[in-house]
Amino acid sequence: MIDIVMMTGTGVLLGLAIGLVVRYFGVPVNPLVESLNELMPGANCGGCGLAGCSDYANAMATGRAKPGLCPVMSAEAVAKCCELLGVESDTTEPKIAVVCCSGDDDHAAKQAFYNGVNDCLNAMLVAGGSKGCTYGCLGLGSCARACPFGAIEMLPNHLAKIHADLCTGCGKCYMACPRNVIKLVPRSAAKVHVYCNSPKKAPIKRTVCKAACIGCRKCAKTAGEGQIIMNGYLASINYDNPPAEGIVEVCPTKCLRKAD
Amino acid sequence: MSHKMPEKSGLNKGDQMNKQIKFYGGVKLDEGKMTSNEPIISAPLEPLYTVPLQQHIGAPAKAVVQKGDKVLRGQLLGEAGSFVSAPVHSPTSGTVRELSSCLGPAGAQLPAVVIESDGEDTAAEPLPIFANWQEASPDELKARVAEAGIVGMGGAAFPTAVKLSPPPNVTIDTVILNGVECEPCLTADHRLMLEHTETIITGARIIARILGVKQIIIAIEMNKPDALEMMTKKAEGTGVEVVGLRVLYPQGAEKQLIYTVTGRKVPSGKLPAHVGCLVTNVSSAAAIADAVCLGKPLYERITTVTGTPVAKPGNILCRVGTPYSSALALCGGVKEDPLKIISGGPMMGMSVYSLDIPIIKGTSGILLLAADEVSQYTPNACLRCGRCNDACPMEMIPGILSSTIEFHHFSLAERWHVMDCIECGCCSYVCPAGRPLVQHMRRAKAVANATRRAAEAASKK
Amino acid sequence: MVKEYILLIIGAVLVNNFVLSRILGICPFLGVSKRLDTAMGMGGAVIFVMILSGFVTALCDKYILVRYNLEYLRTILFILVIAGLVQIVEVLLKRFSETLYTALGIYLPLITTNCAVLGSAIICATEEEFKGRIFKSTVFCFASAVGFALALVLFSSVRERLELSKIPRSFQGPAIALVTAGILAMAFTGFAGLGS
Repeated sequence: MIDIVMMTGTGVLLGLAIGLVVRYFGVPVNPLVESLNELMPGANCGGCGLAGCSDYANAMATGRAKPGLCPVMSAEAVAKCCELLGVESDTTEPKIAVVCCSGDDDHAAKQAFYNGVNDCLNAMLVAGGSKGCTYGCLGLGSCARACPFGAIEMLPNHLAKIHADLCTGCGKCYMACPRNVIKLVPRSAAKVHVYCNSPKKAPIKRTVCKAACIGCRKCAKTAGEGQIIMNGYLASINYDNPPAEGIVEVCPTKCLRKAD
Repeated sequence: MSHKMPEKSGLNKGDQMNKQIKFYGGVKLDEGKMTSNEPIISAPLEPLYTVPLQQHIGAPAKAVVQKGDKVLRGQLLGEAGSFVSAPVHSPTSGTVRELSSCLGPAGAQLPAVVIESDGEDTAAEPLPIFANWQEASPDELKARVAEAGIVGMGGAAFPTAVKLSPPPNVTIDTVILNGVECEPCLTADHRLMLEHTETIITGARIIARILGVKQIIIAIEMNKPDALEMMTKKAEGTGVEVVGLRVLYPQGAEKQLIYTVTGRKVPSGKLPAHVGCLVTNVSSAAAIADAVCLGKPLYERITTVTGTPVAKPGNILCRVGTPYSSALALCGGVKEDPLKIISGGPMMGMSVYSLDIPIIKGTSGILLLAADEVSQYTPNACLRCGRCNDACPMEMIPGILSSTIEFHHFSLAERWHVMDCIECGCCSYVCPAGRPLVQHMRRAKAVANATRRAAEAASKK
Repeated sequence: MVKEYILLIIGAVLVNNFVLSRILGICPFLGVSKRLDTAMGMGGAVIFVMILSGFVTALCDKYILVRYNLEYLRTILFILVIAGLVQIVEVLLKRFSETLYTALGIYLPLITTNCAVLGSAIICATEEEFKGRIFKSTVFCFASAVGFALALVLFSSVRERLELSKIPRSFQGPAIALVTAGILAMAFTGFAGLGS
């Protein structure tokens, strides 16, 4: 008998004590933040531009940020966020990253031998890198290390390759690349790409890379109006109005290819 | 703020060498000075000069000439782009072939003016010569330094006129001329001190007049006894003191030099001006003297071309815009294939892959290294041996810093004073694990600067 | 008397360290020790909980459980008291240090089931030298908590340095942490026999 009384009594006393403490020291919790947190993918990649998933949930709850900034969240999750916040659904086009270079060791020449830290930004600090083409991929893996989803593979012949099925378009690789070889393009339009980044004249380009775009304009002429734009001596796809996949047949150097 | 100042630095008495302040760290290097006894050779005219508009720290110069313009030697090609900038002058007379870009020693493309020489080498009107600079006002003299495009010729190429304008709340009481040339293999300053001693002393006195300073000290390393003797002799009665310093790399680094000569330590993140000192290279001082007394702007400098693969190493007086290949050809070309070409010296110079790079105001040397002189290392993990901590003259902790930077903890690296690094190379030199420590430091500094710039841009929005 | 207490403290902190000798409280030891500041925060929280719970449980044990022959309820009652105290600490921490609260995360309520807290309370209730002695029990719990915090701080410092090393793939994460903990425990056996 006394044991029951004692246990109940202790329980009640403690409950009262906790209640009092919560009453005077408790911090009110926003239930909205809790439910938003549950919808977050939890990758903490920073693709939304904020400091991780819980920061984004907080920002959305306080109105600092809009839903839809997260490139990893599925469309349903974004819709649920909008529902919870009572705002209009604002969908942004999902993006994907592409390495616009074909200059691996077999195609691209080196202008010097680089001996130092195996990192692209580090290599750029030493005479601008060892690659002959100053616009090309250095192949030392800064982008692969920056990717939180493991979507970038460093090929053995020193070229970065992004796997489309793993890429969420968060943009970390785009920020990490010191040569701006990686481009963020809308996923729906990512069917063909120009795998070259150098706007230099063809004779200069060809001495340093066999797979360069020679600026022959065949693709621009064959494609529809404004589908392929010439940027100096470099062809570039207009991703708002992309050409049909068959365009790859006309490229003489095969730098215009289907997305792989 | 006043500092305790002795009448003389007290460094000259023979038995005082042991009492000479030794800065922390540093390494004893093989001096490799092959060209100490080679007199300066004036380079003949080149057919083409590619003059970069960015030869200095700060904003690039803005071109004031166009394609097709006729220019004369010493004529203004580009005016200073901002306060921290310097003008650029033509090295010879001729025609402007084009305004394009060229490869610079750091690997970046620099905007450049290409001048086709007409062979006449006609001089432009010199800047107005000061009849008696001792009576000219300091501001007039400083304006001349700016007008003549003088920059730090020890390699850093900081615009000298900006250095001579310290912040309003600091006073400078000591001018130190850096004739130390601690970088191995380079002898440009040595030869200048032997052959143009008086010009240097005049330059030092002009600087002292600009700043209103009484104490002028010219510091020379003890491995140049002939220069010490010549300078001491010529400086007698001029009020300029000449001191001989112990041979230790990097004695010629600004902060280490100030500490040895005056005993004052420059605090982390501060300038030498904050301890009342100004350090300038002897070549810059000579250029200032030429600008004031001859009205000559800066368009040429002495470059040491050296290394075992070079047939006849020497010290060449080259005009800016001369390609490295021409300077090398003047030294008899190569007698064996070099593995490495360095712009500067072996400790702080930059590796380049092309000889088409033009000589600029800060090119103190071109060093070629043969295959058996280059160490091809594979970096290993830090051994925690601590040799780098003993060698670092800035009293930093390069070993642990390199590990934090390798694993991308950049904010931690910044907290541990990576921005203090002067990139002297002592740590990389002593590291038994072959770690490229200076490259790690440069990476951390690049990230810190980029973060700071992004934060400034974001706060401005 | 002072000597007795000094020996008691040295014994609890170094010789019979709760984490490294008795192998109790490993959950927060591995979970919160990646950074020095979270480790110190956790150590502080545990010290606070252990002093309070040590005192309250010793009181409960002497004046309720022993007096009314309810020793069989010891475990339940102690857990109840500790849980209540941890909840209070949690609320206070959230109010006064939001960052530490978020940093400790799930490990804060886990102090409830932390065998180190319960362990020290039970040792005080069962061992001859502490039975019925409130002050001595409290001091013992305080010293144990200090030992816990010490182990946590030492371990987190080592783990921070481990972050700057290239660890083989198969050892990354908990594996190398446990190996290090083992080596640290071996080091602490050097204190065996101290004070006897």
